[in-house]
Amino acid sequence: MVSRKDYDVLVVGGGPAGLSAALSAAENGARTGIIEREDRLGGILKQCVHDGFGLVRFGEQLAGPEYARRFADRVVEATSKGTVLATHLGAFVHAARRETCGDGGVRYVLECVSRDEGVFVAAARSLVLATGCRERTDRQVFIHGERPAGVFTAGLAQHLVNIEGLLPGHRAVILGSGDIGLIMARRLFLEGVEVEGVYEIKSEPSGLSRNVRQCLEDFGIPLNLSTTVTAVHGDRRVQGVTVASVDRRGTPIPGSERYVECDTLVLSVGLIPENELAVSLGLALDPATRGPRVDQEGRMAEAERADEGIFVCGNALHVNDLVDYVSESGEQAGRAAALFAAARREGVPIPERELIPVKAGSGFLYAVPQFIDRARGGKAVLYFRVNATRAEGGVVRVASGGATVLKKRYAVLRPPEMERLEIDVAAVPEGATQISLELADKGEGDGR
Amino acid sequence: MKLEKLREGLRRIAGRDVDAREDRGAIVLEGETDTWEARLAAGYFAANRGYRGVVNDIVAAEAPWAATEQPRGALTGAGNGDVGNGDVASGEHPLEGLSFDVAVVGGGVVGCAIARELSKWRISVILLEKEEDVACHTSSRNDGMIHDGFAAKPGTRKAAYNVRGNRLWEPLARELGIEFSRPGSIVIYESRAHAALYPAFASRAAKNGVDGWEYWSARRLRAEEPWVTGDQHGAFFLPSAGIISPYKATVALAESAAANGVRISLFTLATGFEREGNRITHVRTDRGNFSVKVVVNAAGNWADVVAGWADDRFFSLHQRRGTDMILDVQSGDFQRHIMAKPSLLQARTHTKGGGLVPTVEGNILVGPTANELPGRELYATSPAEIRQLERHIGLNLKLSPSMAITYFAGVRPCTWEEDFVIEPSRRVANLVHAAGIQSPGLASAPAIAEDVAKMTLDILGTSTRIVPNTAFRPFREAPVDLRRLSLEERAKLVARRPEYGRIVCRCEEVSEGEIRDAVRAPLSARSLDAVKRRVRAGMGRCHGGFCTPRVMEILASELGVELSEVTKKGPGSRIALGETKRRA
Repeated sequence: MVSRKDYDVLVVGGGPAGLSAALSAAENGARTGIIEREDRLGGILKQCVHDGFGLVRFGEQLAGPEYARRFADRVVEATSKGTVLATHLGAFVHAARRETCGDGGVRYVLECVSRDEGVFVAAARSLVLATGCRERTDRQVFIHGERPAGVFTAGLAQHLVNIEGLLPGHRAVILGSGDIGLIMARRLFLEGVEVEGVYEIKSEPSGLSRNVRQCLEDFGIPLNLSTTVTAVHGDRRVQGVTVASVDRRGTPIPGSERYVECDTLVLSVGLIPENELAVSLGLALDPATRGPRVDQEGRMAEAERADEGIFVCGNALHVNDLVDYVSESGEQAGRAAALFAAARREGVPIPERELIPVKAGSGFLYAVPQFIDRARGGKAVLYFRVNATRAEGGVVRVASGGATVLKKRYAVLRPPEMERLEIDVAAVPEGATQISLELADKGEGDGR
Repeated sequence: MKLEKLREGLRRIAGRDVDAREDRGAIVLEGETDTWEARLAAGYFAANRGYRGVVNDIVAAEAPWAATEQPRGALTGAGNGDVGNGDVASGEHPLEGLSFDVAVVGGGVVGCAIARELSKWRISVILLEKEEDVACHTSSRNDGMIHDGFAAKPGTRKAAYNVRGNRLWEPLARELGIEFSRPGSIVIYESRAHAALYPAFASRAAKNGVDGWEYWSARRLRAEEPWVTGDQHGAFFLPSAGIISPYKATVALAESAAANGVRISLFTLATGFEREGNRITHVRTDRGNFSVKVVVNAAGNWADVVAGWADDRFFSLHQRRGTDMILDVQSGDFQRHIMAKPSLLQARTHTKGGGLVPTVEGNILVGPTANELPGRELYATSPAEIRQLERHIGLNLKLSPSMAITYFAGVRPCTWEEDFVIEPSRRVANLVHAAGIQSPGLASAPAIAEDVAKMTLDILGTSTRIVPNTAFRPFREAPVDLRRLSLEERAKLVARRPEYGRIVCRCEEVSEGEIRDAVRAPLSARSLDAVKRRVRAGMGRCHGGFCTPRVMEILASELGVELSEVTKKGPGSRIALGETKRRA
């Protein structure tokens, strides 16, 4: 009754990361299966009807669904052609486990359930986790009060408006100036909702500068910095919220509270990578990114055994601000997963890795990947975020074993904007024990 | 003489503007205080001084509204078109002119347990609940613990009902098809002096008739709970402590009662009684007045108000708010037993003071707090309460406040004597009180139900011949719970009904089929929160971020209403307030 499907590569998640990973795995000859819990491919992009997607990758401004379609159409085409790529839509991964193959290698087995296919298991030598992220909720940022209707995460509000055609309310307060919050402020405004204001606990916006301009300034929506929502009022439906100014540590200042009448509170207070599946397979999470630790191909880094083929990409790895980079990381992971599976299938030994930890020094929030496999050679892409705005810019130096691997000058560095670097792995000296990212003032560097 | 001394004491404690008088065996406190705190002090001072009960009618100037607070029904204040969910409209009176043997006022765990107990007899029973569902208040706002009975003061009703209720829950849960387990409870000794208290602890447990206790050495404690923090000196272990889902339990009791003939009347606000001589003849509600032979007062935080309708207010309730925090389900990997520390236990006089409680779903629940605040249905949480909870989290090395999914408050209805009131009225001949049911009310509910049913039948028996309901079916047809099934069982089920294969709530793994079942059940779930209480959709770590639109669609299609009419918790709580330009 429980059927079984075998693949070389299994990709969990059919959003931008998973689609890229699956396409790239299939292009590299792997029989690839996608497990997607929704009925359609595209992930969260399906509800992102605003434009601005694909500037880096395609050099044009696409709406979310258009961007997704560029990949989804190719997947659909590939699946219709033959057996290389298969999709399981509306399929939910109930549990994941390992199985030992006849040749002693590891295979990952996913127990899945879907309406159309019933209960089935899918198995593969390589597993790509492209499980995306979820939103933090009101209680997770310690907003108090009762629990009335009218409190929405920005993504939920976006879904209601863009997919269901429903208006969440008539007068909205938005907490958090993350990108989705800014975009929802504009979206609600255009739908005739009175947007009272956007409130941000930090002293600067959390979203991309272009979104602050295009979503708030262009429409005259006030942005209240160093201010947060502390309580929700109303027991059945939101009647209003209390907002308060905060000190430098983000603690509300007594006496600064103010009541704002509204029927809707939209929260854009952060995203959390979804890694429950990864954790259930024993992967530890990096506290800085809340994603697994990986090498430059997205392959799990903590495996002492060389035969572990779990790869992680996209927002499951760390929260990205541009989908273009999500696709890039999916591609890397998909290709590597295909090659890994092929090697295992053909009994080729997996080459020993030489994992060198990447350390993001002071001034950085984090860097991904957490390890560079020196044995791989070639180019490696590093993403990083700084922990505070450097309006005057700065120079990032990638150093290892006393040598400078790369130096790059930035005109401005801001925490909301993730930066990308490409390093030459061969430039990492032999025997290096660490690759460090250092931040220096502009004058100290000379660019690349 | 006694009264004079009491008056003097009261004035000393609560000011010159308070007074006391005796009324039919109870002591009635009147007058005014500046603060709520002073009003509380007066109430506690008057308790346990040889009166039948304390009625505290003192008005605190800082919360004068609390003195005249009245219950509000789900339909109260809901304008036309704001009813949502295709529910009943106000202005309809389907109960008018009907007649019942027994009316139970209140659809919490106690009222529902009593109604089910009464359904074992061939009598007509109606349960009145003012909200859109049962378990909307205290019964869904607690930690789900089935206490062992150790904490209750020896000799109290609480102690007796708790221990008996603890025994009854296990077979009852089997009949209802709900989960129940006994992880046992640990009271941690954090010093050698604490550990020396073992004989006192054991003697108290023995006095209460608790089912077993053990002394755990520090080594045993470490072996059982490796993540306990700090330098511990062993523990007092109570193996009979259990856990249950309090809202699932209440819904299951109500459904079982309904299946056995009880009429569950939701959206029904009782507003008073009509009396003739010393009998209640009719119950007045906002949905019609009906005649009745016996009334059971299980009105939770309003039980003293209901008693007042029969001129039988010999007790009054004060509200002790408790806030609980739920941690992400991963927290459940780090603790097996219910855990608390004596220093925290004694932080408040009238409560255990909370701890870390595993839930049947695998999360760890932190709490509850205990704060005396005005407001019978005020559930707003505050930062101070969260700070109180953080102390408990510190008991387990692996837990942290950042694991919080959500937190919520409940209000315990407490008498000033801090004991349950479970007895027939002495003023009217046909009223039975189940009042003041604070902690451990959930644990005690089945035992309370047995006794209250007995008292009710004794009264009813004087005018009516009572025969057993031979058609009574103890076993409820339990809803499908996919998560608990083996892969093969699940495959069979999905093959039969593919809706069980479509997972709607990802965090709690709840399928479309299970949600549809909850809406089609005898006690239909008609709002997002009602769905949550039955199948937990939206209760997980994303807290409905992903599944809300899906659950709304299912509710809309099952109830035959527009998507925009779906509510979170009944009238006045629609999720969406309109349509977009494109759609409209």
